[in-house]
Amino acid sequence: MKVVLAHARAQTLELARYPAYVVPTLLFPAAFFLVFAAPADRAGAAAELATFAGFAALGVAFFQFGVGIAADRASPWEAYLRTLPVAPRARLGARTLAAVPFALAASAAVVAAGLATTEAALPAAGWLELALVLTLGTVPFAMLGIALGFLAPPRAALPIANLFYLGLSYAGGLWQRPSRLPAAVAAVSPYVPTRAFGDVLAAVATGQPFTPAPWARLAAFAGGFALLALWAYRRDEGRSYR
Amino acid sequence: MSVAALDAVTKRFGQTVALTSATFAVERGEVAALLGANGAGKTTALALLLGLRQPDSGTARLFGLDPRVPAARRNVGVALQEPTFPTTLRVRELLALVRVHYPTPAPDAALLERFGLASLAPRQLGGLSGGERRRVAVALAFAGRPALVVLDEPTAGLDPDARRDVWAAVRAHAGDGGTILLTTHHLDEADALAHRVVLLDRGVVAADDSVAAIKAAAGLTRVRFRAPPGLAVEGAERDGDCLAILTRDAGAALEQLVRRGVPLAELEVRPLTLEDAIAARRLPP
Repeated sequence: MKVVLAHARAQTLELARYPAYVVPTLLFPAAFFLVFAAPADRAGAAAELATFAGFAALGVAFFQFGVGIAADRASPWEAYLRTLPVAPRARLGARTLAAVPFALAASAAVVAAGLATTEAALPAAGWLELALVLTLGTVPFAMLGIALGFLAPPRAALPIANLFYLGLSYAGGLWQRPSRLPAAVAAVSPYVPTRAFGDVLAAVATGQPFTPAPWARLAAFAGGFALLALWAYRRDEGRSYR
Repeated sequence: MSVAALDAVTKRFGQTVALTSATFAVERGEVAALLGANGAGKTTALALLLGLRQPDSGTARLFGLDPRVPAARRNVGVALQEPTFPTTLRVRELLALVRVHYPTPAPDAALLERFGLASLAPRQLGGLSGGERRRVAVALAFAGRPALVVLDEPTAGLDPDARRDVWAAVRAHAGDGGTILLTTHHLDEADALAHRVVLLDRGVVAADDSVAAIKAAAGLTRVRFRAPPGLAVEGAERDGDCLAILTRDAGAALEQLVRRGVPLAELEVRPLTLEDAIAARRLPP
């Protein structure tokens, strides 16, 4: 555990000192919210506030896991870390821990922007629920990010991550309620994994009762992406360290 | 049980054969040097011993275990050839990260002092020079006070002072009963530090013996003198302004030169260095 925390701490410090990572990760989703969501629906912005917070957490899943892993894979530093007496799962645990502060900060920036510019409000317990839903709901995308990190060539990881990030966020209805999506996009929306994420986020923000269906879909995506990530990891092991 | 061992290991990368049925072992308490030209297979041998690569055939063992198992690396500290680190981490933070992997790490202050890094401790790694990063890499290898320290070209690009620090650390570690496996291009470095030398030649173990034995087996003395350009003597190699002869009988060689009337300016007769001994192995017997 001491080792996991030490790796998480080192990764957090390393990333926190890259303005090129911190500034876009933290401010981009909040800025998006201010430009697109806030003016559209000042009164009913609670759902958008939650889904944009999800959009923010999603960015960490794709960039810190996906692009981060792809970049590390090729580096001599990664080779050095592999010579240390530490199991790969401990380092993955550390990577996950290191993602939490950035995901929280990025989501908090959206919430702050929402509270400052709209009339969105949640009951006290609602914030806690939102944090919980954000954490659990990000798991499938963290798995997808890991898979992407091990599958994408280092130079291609960033554009691919962007494609997934923006494409899935839009089609899943994280930027606007799915009912307002153009018909063609609305037709595929129910099948994209971010749609279930957006549904549970909007539900908790607007005080709707719990429904198991989107959670079941999220769990299924989490399982599928976890398998994909495991396969991608083994494939990379077989190539880079054969 | 050997500390680290390759047994009949063959490793290919596509069409290139990096190692061919290579066998050698590093025993507890010895300083072993892997020597060889670029592409001889030194780094591949280390990668196999550290679990970064898998043999195509044969076995690699670290403390008797498969090196890919973390437990096999519990008592190993490593400095890889390319000292690349996250640019935004500070030297002190990097040391702290590496220390937690070992039960009884070296005290930070002593370690930083030993490698002349005390003033660099608060600096970010991205701002360090190549030589400074090499020093950090070597310091990290010793940070956990592991039984085995593996150093891939630990003095490449270092200034003489830093090189001396690394040599001193290697000797101190061996003096405490520790084991060292290092690679180097510099035969004088192997001569100065190693008890054993494993010479790799295009992926084949060409020699594996004590430094003393390699020198003794060659049994040669080196006769060197200043020779005018154009002068050629059979069996002599030209080395700039000088000719050098490796011979079993220096007296007879000199006598012959004198009889031929070769002017022997700046004459130097000395026992073989490791470098000469290995050069001699390549000469026809």
